Amino acid sequence: MAAPLPEAAFVAAGPPPPLPSLVSSRKLRTQRLGRTLRLWIPAGLLLALLALCFVWPLVYHIPSSTNGNIINADAPPLSPGAWLGTDQNGVDEFSQLVYGGQVSFEVFIAVTAIGMVLGSCIGIIAGYFGGWVDAVLSRVLDILIAFPALVLALAIAEGLGPSEFHVILAISVFSIPAFGRVTRGATLVLRELPFMVAARLAGARRWRIILRHIVPNILPGILTFSLLGIGIVIILEGALDFLGYGVPPPTATIGAMIANGQQTMTVTPEYVLIPSIFLLLVVVSVNMLGDALRERWGVQ
Amino acid sequence: MSQSLLEVEDLRVGFAVGGRELRAVDGITFSVNPGNTLAIIGESGSGKTVSCRAIMGLLPAGTSINGSARLRGSELIGLSDSELRRYRGSDMAMVFQDPARSLNPTMKIGVQITEAITTHRKVGKAEAQTQAVELLRLVRIPAAERRFHEYPHQLSGGMRQRVMIAMALACRPKLLIADEATTALDVTTQVQIMELLLELQSELEMALILISHDLGLAASYADEVIVMYAGKIVEQAPAAALFGRGGSVRMRYTRALLDAIPHMERAAHSALPVVGGRPPDMTALPVGCSFAPRCGSAADDCLAKAPALTEHAPGHKWACWHPCENGVHP
Amino acid sequence: MTGRHAMGSSPNGDKLPAGEPLLSARDVVQEFVVRERGGTKAGVVQAVSGISFDVMQGETLGVVGETGSGKSTLARAILQAPRPKSGSVVFRGADLTKLSGSRLLQARRHMQFVFQDPFGSLDPKWQVRSIVEEPLVAYRTSNRAGRRKRVDELLDLVGLDPARYAKRHPRELSGGQAQRVAIARALALSPSLIICDEAVSSLDVLIQAQVLNLFEKLRGELGLSYLFIAHDLALVKQVSDRVAVMYLGKLCEVGPGESVYREPLHPYTRALLDSIPSTEPGARRASATIKGEPPSPINPPSGCRFRTRCPRATDKCALEEPMPKEMAPGHLVACHFPLSEPAPVGAASASADTTTGAPIRSVLARGTTPGAPVRGRPPEPP
Repeated sequence: MAAPLPEAAFVAAGPPPPLPSLVSSRKLRTQRLGRTLRLWIPAGLLLALLALCFVWPLVYHIPSSTNGNIINADAPPLSPGAWLGTDQNGVDEFSQLVYGGQVSFEVFIAVTAIGMVLGSCIGIIAGYFGGWVDAVLSRVLDILIAFPALVLALAIAEGLGPSEFHVILAISVFSIPAFGRVTRGATLVLRELPFMVAARLAGARRWRIILRHIVPNILPGILTFSLLGIGIVIILEGALDFLGYGVPPPTATIGAMIANGQQTMTVTPEYVLIPSIFLLLVVVSVNMLGDALRERWGVQ
Repeated sequence: MSQSLLEVEDLRVGFAVGGRELRAVDGITFSVNPGNTLAIIGESGSGKTVSCRAIMGLLPAGTSINGSARLRGSELIGLSDSELRRYRGSDMAMVFQDPARSLNPTMKIGVQITEAITTHRKVGKAEAQTQAVELLRLVRIPAAERRFHEYPHQLSGGMRQRVMIAMALACRPKLLIADEATTALDVTTQVQIMELLLELQSELEMALILISHDLGLAASYADEVIVMYAGKIVEQAPAAALFGRGGSVRMRYTRALLDAIPHMERAAHSALPVVGGRPPDMTALPVGCSFAPRCGSAADDCLAKAPALTEHAPGHKWACWHPCENGVHP
Repeated sequence: MTGRHAMGSSPNGDKLPAGEPLLSARDVVQEFVVRERGGTKAGVVQAVSGISFDVMQGETLGVVGETGSGKSTLARAILQAPRPKSGSVVFRGADLTKLSGSRLLQARRHMQFVFQDPFGSLDPKWQVRSIVEEPLVAYRTSNRAGRRKRVDELLDLVGLDPARYAKRHPRELSGGQAQRVAIARALALSPSLIICDEAVSSLDVLIQAQVLNLFEKLRGELGLSYLFIAHDLALVKQVSDRVAVMYLGKLCEVGPGESVYREPLHPYTRALLDSIPSTEPGARRASATIKGEPPSPINPPSGCRFRTRCPRATDKCALEEPMPKEMAPGHLVACHFPLSEPAPVGAASASADTTTGAPIRSVLARGTTPGAPVRGRPPEPP
């Protein structure tokens, strides 16, 4: 990675003869391989799951996820025409998974985006300006965090009626302050670093400093934080659907699948297992990706 | 049978860094006698710290260490951590640069010293406490009994370093390695700490290894001096041979170091004789002398073949094809 | 904000009357609150307690002090980052303590700062080019093409080839190169005064020498003045015309470099000089002529702050704070019993000062210094 020293031209032509290696090159190779795998395996898995949910239905025709023929009820996995079987109402399991997965991904992407943008703005402003601005904004964040997300979601669902949009709203109440606090902390640390002082001394305007100095430096941290927090969001969304306060039926959701399958868990455990494994794969891959990125970018 | 306390022979240390290999120490040989002071001088990346940590067994797992380091005849290289623990503290000890980071901020210093004692000796708690207070007195900390109950943050930098020394001396080691121990201290504090170390050395008949980048420190306090560059020893001599009257510095790098230090006697605004370039990339060392790319007197033979460290004058070794003449630039 | 300024304008943009100092600090006081763990206020530290000095045009004033002396706080106070609690800082005729906002930015434009940590002062996400360009952008000195040209000029000036370094990020630079970038940035607006706060302390010895030579070269070519802050006395002497010695927020001694070093008047200066280990053959080993520990800055000693460690202290030193007095041309000292006078009666150890006079004089008495002529290839960036 380091460019060869200009002085290297000074040395006699030709590469130096390899000195006997002290460290086994095998160990070096495995080190490098490990790092690459830790990044690309979860990334690949995540991409595969995303492709499954969003791209597959566009390319191949899959049965409806909401209507099913009761004649076909309780077909086991790997039945012809139904790869993962059908549930008690004859609705295809696989398509429920695919469309339910879409809902899950949509919710968590939206919640993360809202949290990242709104929450980070609040956090950065609070951290950079300090004083009463910080005091006020921090209290706002504290209030938001104090709301138990689940209860709030229930209240919104009751009041406004259940829908995907309301689920996003409810969970955002939780994600905004989460991002807010993290970015505020990071901003406070950054603010006193010498290059920030240097920027102020150079006469840069405040907004310019925020946009061009603070944001690029916290971005890696925010990204890894968002990945690591996605697991919570997904589970939360699943819980809401499970309770019936999330996306209303007949739309297929992972949570609804689990709720449905729970009734006959002892007889047909696959109705619970299939969506649960899906959730597990998503959460694990996202977490591992977050860890690998954190390792690569050296973020705490 | 030699009477050296520590004998290091052809020590080599390598790391795997980000997928590449870094040879931090490339075959160094030296020895230290009881009661003597050796100074290992070098800039960052020279391998001075790594070599001593290799001897103490303080390098991370997966580091490749070859060669030999014998403490009173017992081989230290290749021992496991638990085996080395027997030697650490009781036979050899190390003091580091930043006492703020080496001391636990949440524990009183008395407790930390007591711990250091009980790790190696089976003494009761009361006895260990008495010994700890004795140690604090040994390192000339005033009001030792009161300081025993204080926290690190209540002490100044110099005091904390004395506490570190006290902990290192808990079991009267025969060898004390001071790794840039005074670099972070004020110069007035440095003098006090160095005087303390010398007093302790004569009281306890300890051998002292001073690791530093400060040639002045070596000149003032060391009996023998080793200069390292890019993992190798480039000059090795008694301090008097280098800095004393009639002494001379031979290897070009040592000369460059000496010239680059601001001296009080120089006129203000005089230009310092500079050496261009940077320390070499340790993962891709050049053939030939490692210093040649930067040396003002490098010739073809310097680039083609690395000079070996040879004893050209009694007790004075250097690794240079074209050394300085009698310490003065030709 | 401002109109366009000519690029590369000379440091003497606005003409300063001859003889008037470039920078004039009077009775600068800076405090900060010390908090215990948990945030409760433990006390107020007056890091700088009434410091006054001048820096003339084209001169380098070195400020020497140990930990707790307040020298770095002083540097920041001069910059108004943060503003000192009291006192005045007159720079090119304008009192910075009374200005704020864009007027402060304008007045401070010709004063720049180089930090101790070369990497800390550069944004790790920015390219070298953008870093050096930042002051130009902030002060809107010219259009993009003009700025590019200026950045290339500056990089050349500090010895970095623009073609190879302009697009790099700080992590691809060595310590010395990073510090050069910081210096290039400091030069962008053609300052008159550069404040260097331990600017070379974290660099390796050989690299340090290169950067010091760069400072000298810039001094000669651009007519810069420096306020050079460091704890290494030999270093400060090397670069300074005049030297000021600070202890616990107070100025002990200030005067021409040669005078302060050859005939120090303040016992603290003497003690500092005695503590330096020397590589000179036959030099006496450094000895501790100073006793005890530095007192806590929260509760400094009454009267003369150095009295608790001074071998010449008497009761008078505890009761009355010494004010700076001119003992020799341009050489001021704040001490009731400066070294030029015999030890006072009743001093703690009256014999101490008879030995303290020896080292430097004996070194000088040996005559010629073993200096080495400047040789070797022209300096390359480290």
